[in-house]
Amino acid sequence: MAAESGRQFWKRSAKLPGSFIKDRSKANALPMKSKKASSFHEFARNTSDAWDIGDDEDEDFSSSSSSLQTLNSKVAKATAAQVLENHSKLRAKPERAQSALSDMPTNCKVIKSSSEAQLSRTSEEACVRNPLQKQQSLPLRPVIPLVARISDQNASGAPPMTVREKTRLEKFRQLLSSHNTDLDELRKCSWPGVPREVRPVTWRLLSGYLPANMERRKLTLQRKREEYFGFIQQYYDSRNEEHHQDTYRQIFERILFIWAIRHPASGYVQGINDLVTPFFVVFLSEYVEEDVENFDVTNLSQDVLRSIEADSFWCMSKLLDGIQDNYTFAQPGIQKKVKALEELVSRIDEQVHNHFRKYEVEYLQFAFRWMNNLLMRELPLRCTIRLWDTYQSEPEGFSHFHLYVCAAFLIKWRKEILDEEDFQGLLMLLQNLPTIHWGNEEIGLLLAEAYRLKYMFADAPNHYRR
Amino acid sequence: MEAIWLYQFRLIVIGDSTVGKSCLIRRFTEGRFAQISDPTVGVDFFSRLVEIEPGKRIKLQIWDTAGQERFRSITRAYYRNSVGGLLLFDITNRRSFQNVHEWLEETKVHVQPYQIVFVLVGHKCDLDTQRQVTRHEAEKLAAAYGMKYIETSARDAINVEKAFTDLTRDIYELVKRGEISIQEGWEGVKSGFVPNVVHSSEEVVKSDRRCLC
Repeated sequence: MAAESGRQFWKRSAKLPGSFIKDRSKANALPMKSKKASSFHEFARNTSDAWDIGDDEDEDFSSSSSSLQTLNSKVAKATAAQVLENHSKLRAKPERAQSALSDMPTNCKVIKSSSEAQLSRTSEEACVRNPLQKQQSLPLRPVIPLVARISDQNASGAPPMTVREKTRLEKFRQLLSSHNTDLDELRKCSWPGVPREVRPVTWRLLSGYLPANMERRKLTLQRKREEYFGFIQQYYDSRNEEHHQDTYRQIFERILFIWAIRHPASGYVQGINDLVTPFFVVFLSEYVEEDVENFDVTNLSQDVLRSIEADSFWCMSKLLDGIQDNYTFAQPGIQKKVKALEELVSRIDEQVHNHFRKYEVEYLQFAFRWMNNLLMRELPLRCTIRLWDTYQSEPEGFSHFHLYVCAAFLIKWRKEILDEEDFQGLLMLLQNLPTIHWGNEEIGLLLAEAYRLKYMFADAPNHYRR
Repeated sequence: MEAIWLYQFRLIVIGDSTVGKSCLIRRFTEGRFAQISDPTVGVDFFSRLVEIEPGKRIKLQIWDTAGQERFRSITRAYYRNSVGGLLLFDITNRRSFQNVHEWLEETKVHVQPYQIVFVLVGHKCDLDTQRQVTRHEAEKLAAAYGMKYIETSARDAINVEKAFTDLTRDIYELVKRGEISIQEGWEGVKSGFVPNVVHSSEEVVKSDRRCLC
């Protein structure tokens, strides 16, 4: 079923690169919500994504999300029904539901012990212990090795700016402060990287979270943040007694929990947790001068923290909307993208492709993770943040352009790949590509190559196309 | 230069999320224990040589699988080419023990008519005070399925070596007896001998290989 609806989706969204669906009202007519009044309908109404209401002309970016929701509506209906059923079962047994939800420690401290949670051990290791939930029951408590991930943020110690950088920053400031920010222009400017100073606001705009109209921004932010905390009250607080302990871990956990419960077709999938980090770190950098790594979030006022949390949630949701079929049953989006990568590589570098074939290396064996985690496991966080400047400026950056980035990334290692002469050596290499020293320069080159590939192959008739 | 090995076995490590599969494998292949570890996404690959008798080495290729249900469509593709496996549960997590049966069923469906030689591993045995599964019941379950049972701790490096080595030895015996044979198009067992290369010191093994061919 998933495969079939997937095929439909590719047909439906066969649109020119760079063109956006302007007609929000049509895009909004999601079968998910418009069809017959069933229990699912009610469910959908309760959990309907706030992106779908209001914010009219500023929502250009959400075109892909709408079609994706269309794509998944069948799957979503089925699974949502299942979730509802599980829900009611769990509600019938409150202690069980509690325990399933409460065995994730916060900063390695147990939030709440229960009949089943046996996690009193204090090491971080305890954080990776939660029982497998049956699929589509309440979302899993996410596992977030955050310390390791945040340690990359290069918030401090930046070298002095060059004249060129100053001019660029000035251009951004100008764009951002105009009455109506020209989003096309902002995208153009952001593609080669967003200056750190203006990244938070630029990302909010690029993701479609903030309206282009200056006057509406403040109100939108306020409304969205309130809305998010409404979800927290509605879904989260009722299950958790000790809430609003604002550690990194708990903030992430809330964000993921709310996302998962509102997206029953996906639920929580390992990897999604990674995707919160760049947003969180970027929004945090607005308030923190020093290295984010050593920063204790409890030093921030609760208002600030809440804003960061809500903004991270909305921007991550926006991102995920565009790649939701990566995380639905059988992960059709990923399977498709890995196949597309294979085909692309076979065309751009036959030697590498044949080398893999010779040693029986399958693309899925290494590229699954590249797709599932958007290369976040392969790159230092600072590089991911830079990469996302471009992904958010590029039409369908996360869902489509990423494929070309992956191809460019693979070919980048062609020499090392061709030097390996057995399966094992190849897999070990591909799983541990040495990018630890990478920075903006390497990402810039990677993106340029990806862009070249995209334009070389976008119109090739036999090539994989969206 | 790669050391000489008699056979290469492919093993798979399965079990619920967070029972410690990756930590166990890392302890075995890298000799260290990571306090923080990213949850596995899809499947990861590891490798190590083990010496089952002086001078007799087996190369192990180990697939570390993600325990989360959502990744099942990916991970199950790896069962078929595995000759052996470690089925882990966490002794402090009763549910992970209750799911052992399901894991076995799941693999069975995908490797029929062949079988994977499994060992049942009760992991995190350093956390004895939080134990939710007794050794006795785990042994009973293992016996019912014709598996061996062993308790391990990656953190304290207890029985990690033994878990892998014992399994390797058992598979080796089956290969030697001809109950498992090398097959074209199957990656579970491969012979380490390259044609036309003479290993004069490996008399015994050479004869073994003749039996299998």
